Amino acid sequence: MTNDELLDAFPGVRLDQDNAAYYRGLLDGELLINRCDDCATWHFPARSACPRCWSRSVTPTAVAGTGTIVLLTMLHQGSRKEGADYTVGHPLVAVELDEQPGLRLGGTVLGVDPRTVQLGERVRIVIRRLEGRGPRVDFERMP
Amino acid sequence: MSPSRRNPARDQVAIVGLGRSAYGRDRLGCTPGSLVLDAAIAAARDAGVGAADIDGICGSTVAAGYVQAALGIARVSWFSNPPSVIGNQIVAAVAAVNSGMCETALVYHNAYRMPFASRSAGRDPMRRRAMLGLAETRSAWGTGHAESGANSMFGANAYAAWAGRYLHDYGYERDTLGLIAINSRTNAASNDNAVYREPLTMQDYLAGRMVRDPLSVYDMDIPVDAADAFIITTTERARYLAQTPVLVHAATLGHTDYGIEEQLVDLDHAGQVVVAERLWAKSELTLADVDVFYPYEGFSNIALSWFENVGYCGRGEGGAFVRQHWVEDEQRILIHGRIPVNTHGGSLSEGGTQGAGHLYEACLQLRGTAGIRQVPGASVALVTPGGYYFNSQGFVLRRGA
Ligand SMILES: [Zn+2]
Repeated sequence: MTNDELLDAFPGVRLDQDNAAYYRGLLDGELLINRCDDCATWHFPARSACPRCWSRSVTPTAVAGTGTIVLLTMLHQGSRKEGADYTVGHPLVAVELDEQPGLRLGGTVLGVDPRTVQLGERVRIVIRRLEGRGPRVDFERMP
Repeated sequence: MSPSRRNPARDQVAIVGLGRSAYGRDRLGCTPGSLVLDAAIAAARDAGVGAADIDGICGSTVAAGYVQAALGIARVSWFSNPPSVIGNQIVAAVAAVNSGMCETALVYHNAYRMPFASRSAGRDPMRRRAMLGLAETRSAWGTGHAESGANSMFGANAYAAWAGRYLHDYGYERDTLGLIAINSRTNAASNDNAVYREPLTMQDYLAGRMVRDPLSVYDMDIPVDAADAFIITTTERARYLAQTPVLVHAATLGHTDYGIEEQLVDLDHAGQVVVAERLWAKSELTLADVDVFYPYEGFSNIALSWFENVGYCGRGEGGAFVRQHWVEDEQRILIHGRIPVNTHGGSLSEGGTQGAGHLYEACLQLRGTAGIRQVPGASVALVTPGGYYFNSQGFVLRRGA
């Protein structure tokens, strides 16, 4: 896929050479997070250096995609662009991935009664395709 | 490494001029530029300086070059446009004046209701056009967020999530946040610049429209069109100017490497922690000397964290501290029965100017010209703009001679 095609797949996203692999991964249905080749530290969002050892050798690497809800809010107004439904509230969470303390992603929780979402819940990622903006990462409860 | 105590600027630089536009939610005729010019002209006149005296310019989003041309400031030796919020401009100008990069700096910040922030602004075609050329999100700053919207832990959404985490971890209910909102509203009643001045009861607060749980309309700053400006020069030069100078005793910014909303591991790693550590290291005054306190409360939970970080209480005790120092008869906080908090009504009632209003009010109090809300004998102010991630700042200001 050319850079032009990648950019066309994510209109409205500030995509650049540092985070392009993350978005290419989403198109392939994979969540890729940058990991240091020298000390194995993960970091997000994607940058070109390891924040722990300053190695410039970092590789976008697939993660297990499981984690724990560490931040939660229920939105009652906002953009409708991404299909958010505010009638009972739209849950927005940050999930700490199992790979490393502090390694976190934001997103919504799909397929649940929003009022039942709680801090501390175990979730896994869902990569879903949204009309007009390309795929993104959200979450669902662990079965 | 222990925090540096070195502070060659201590009391050497002064805020000598104050100016502002009116704060409003119905000022469709203004632009960011016109608001800044309102404030800048007022500040220069207040200080008794003219275009020929100003040789430094430092603002937030309105370009220094625009203001220089608009006000015919013929020659400057220093200018800068750091990102918001106000401490970034003030710290830069204090450093510039103290180092001799300039003698007298004009500093300003404006707020402007963009179409996405306010329904009435959204109906204004001129405001929609004002979006032209602006990046859609903070992603343009390069701090990491490449997206915004309902599924992004970004800006206001993230403050709400941290508020929820705070209530959850320390066992508080929403009425604890309500004390911050009510305190601001009570104080705003004696500030004719405030956009909301009618009393707010706890019953009103708890019935407020929920926007981002647990933050309701009363927990989030009021979008306004407004600008504040400050004239900053050497304490030496201030002796020959019109107003009682406000000396910058200690000033700092604070940032950790967790500068993105959801990547902040916990509140012990917030920028506020760095601010408190550095500010008190640089200051010869202590918390016990403070007469008036201005913790930023653009989201109500931020203020609770400031109480904790500046040293009034420990982590998680901000809510209990505020309740303990709540004066029921007055419907506001008086720390130790003496020290009022956000005497102007803050961002929650005066209007949201990202800490510039807090700084302005602190200067008025130290001058002794705050009118009916003047705190008798106020000589030391603690001002802490900013939130958790990328804009925490602190100032110890004192009344000059
Ligand atoms: Zn490394």
